Amino acid sequence: MMDKQPFRCALVSDFNLQNFAGYVTNDPEFPAIQPIRAPFGQPAATLIDRDLPCWQNTPDAAVIWTQPQAVVPAFKALLNYEQVALQKVLQQVDEYCALLVNMSARVKFAVVPSWVLPSYRSVFGVIDMQTEIGLTNTLMRMNLRLAENLEKAANIYVLNTQRWIAQAGVQAFSPKLWYLGKIPFGNEVFKAAVRDIKAALRGMLGYARKLIIVDLDDTLWGGIVGDAGWENLVLGGHHHIGEAYVDFQQALKSMQNRGILLAIVSKNEERIALEAIKKHPEMILKLEDFAGWRINWQDKVQNIIDLMTELNLGPQAAVFIDDSPIERARVKESLPEVLVPDWPEDPLFYPATLLSLQCFEMPSLSREDLTRTTMYLSENKRRELKKTVSSLEEWLARLCIRVQVEELHPANLPRATQLLNKTNQMNLSTRRMSEAELMVWAEQDPHRLWTMRVSDKFGDAGLTGIISLEIQDRSAQIVDFILSCRVLGRKIEETMLATAIHHALLLGIETVYAQYTPTAKNKPCLDFFKSLAPRFQQQGDCFVRDRKLPFPVPEHIEIDPAL
Amino acid sequence: MHAKITQMLFSVIDELNQLRPPDEYLTKDLETPITGDSGRLDSAGLINLIALTEQKAAAELGRPLLLTDDRTLSQVNQVFRTLGTLADYIHLRLNEKK
Repeated sequence: MMDKQPFRCALVSDFNLQNFAGYVTNDPEFPAIQPIRAPFGQPAATLIDRDLPCWQNTPDAAVIWTQPQAVVPAFKALLNYEQVALQKVLQQVDEYCALLVNMSARVKFAVVPSWVLPSYRSVFGVIDMQTEIGLTNTLMRMNLRLAENLEKAANIYVLNTQRWIAQAGVQAFSPKLWYLGKIPFGNEVFKAAVRDIKAALRGMLGYARKLIIVDLDDTLWGGIVGDAGWENLVLGGHHHIGEAYVDFQQALKSMQNRGILLAIVSKNEERIALEAIKKHPEMILKLEDFAGWRINWQDKVQNIIDLMTELNLGPQAAVFIDDSPIERARVKESLPEVLVPDWPEDPLFYPATLLSLQCFEMPSLSREDLTRTTMYLSENKRRELKKTVSSLEEWLARLCIRVQVEELHPANLPRATQLLNKTNQMNLSTRRMSEAELMVWAEQDPHRLWTMRVSDKFGDAGLTGIISLEIQDRSAQIVDFILSCRVLGRKIEETMLATAIHHALLLGIETVYAQYTPTAKNKPCLDFFKSLAPRFQQQGDCFVRDRKLPFPVPEHIEIDPAL
Repeated sequence: MHAKITQMLFSVIDELNQLRPPDEYLTKDLETPITGDSGRLDSAGLINLIALTEQKAAAELGRPLLLTDDRTLSQVNQVFRTLGTLADYIHLRLNEKK
């Protein structure tokens, strides 16, 4: 499912990153990384000089990991307890950030670990948090400035080094490795960094998981609801295990608030289980928090497949949590793309185990992410409506679909990039780009790109479509034709084409064609273009518009702005 | 004690191998050459070996061990010739401290 090509990653630092390079090369988790080492100990010069070998052939990513005193000279003076104005320190942070932003055009993604001080440095601890005096106070402000400055760059991500230090414990800093090899950190720090950086890269590449499927008995609550009754479940109360189940539900709820869908697959009587969810006073999760469920006595693997079909998600989007090792093993074996984490026997560790999973990293958080569950619940209502009408046309007409067309701009760029990188099925060319690359491409003269925001009477599906054109001499090529599977089959596809054709005609271009690039997953796109005959004629993998036939916006769709 | 030192060194090798390409893994054998003509470690590898050995001696044997003093570094090629010579040297140093 994942690209086997190693991810080429430039490593830039003022210290020796050889151990980090070793761990990152050998780590078996996706993506495989091939480190490219930059000149040792010259981070600023390396960031400036675009002609250095490390920047050739466009590395996929860069890790820029520095000690604060190496790139902010004023902080070096502060380490000697010289008097330096905070303003001067922050100004130098700004200058360093400008170098990073300048460098970021050379890579798809850049990762910048935040700055830390050795934890053994505890001298003058009482005044360490005082403004303009304490080193820790100043360093916190520097990190804040670093993060704020780099937020503006679409492809630079600041990661929290302090987490790695905490995980490494007393071995986090190694004076021995520093004096012998100019390696400031113990190896546990590098191992933790590899885990976080790879998780971040997976997110940037669109491999974040979107759905958590949970079991009920002894997973969401303690006890067997069918035997004990909902009144006797272990959930909340003055009981350490009951509190842990509540915290686990709270952790799931917090994930849902960040756009992760929740679903249930449980062997139970549906009526009894739903009654427990509705009636138990300490349930944090309500029925409306779940995008779907399969509560019955069928095989869980089949239930998961059915649920994923209903939610229009692939198995690579799902995480399955179940207290039963037998059920976990069965799902793991039958659906290897579903992530099935090892689950602790002790419920007291459930919340921490969930919150330590590194598979939900998202490079940005869009409006669509935050309202995902609502969108799926709206989808259920659409499905219900479909059952009551006699034809597809009637269903579409009663949905009152509205499509808002916008060009690419900074506000819709993160979501458009997310859609570009995550969509597999209705995707003509399946090209993957960073935010910066997409913006640069869209701004180039021969290119036009429109985003489609789709809503209907049941709700707003958000930015779910992209179509782009490359204007050539007397023709226009459809480069991107991307539609989220959540709005497939509602003639948004035709609306997108009508939009692009309309704009091509305004430029005096009548010949519009689409070159289909096959992948393992985008056959639905091929089928759609085949279905357009005779308005589009197939020539191999190319579909050319018959200029004599009109291509209007479908009748039931209101488009804004009108064409 | 010698067996404990050997086990401790083998756990150091496990750690070191995480930093190396699979085709350059060090074998957990007292005859494994470390430095010299047939040595398997470069200077960065030797630094890691020293730091990890000191760390694990404290953690696993409960004894402080110093391998960067003049005495050790003046005979670095002998001490670090093989895993076995290193084990012998550690045994010697720890017994001296008793």
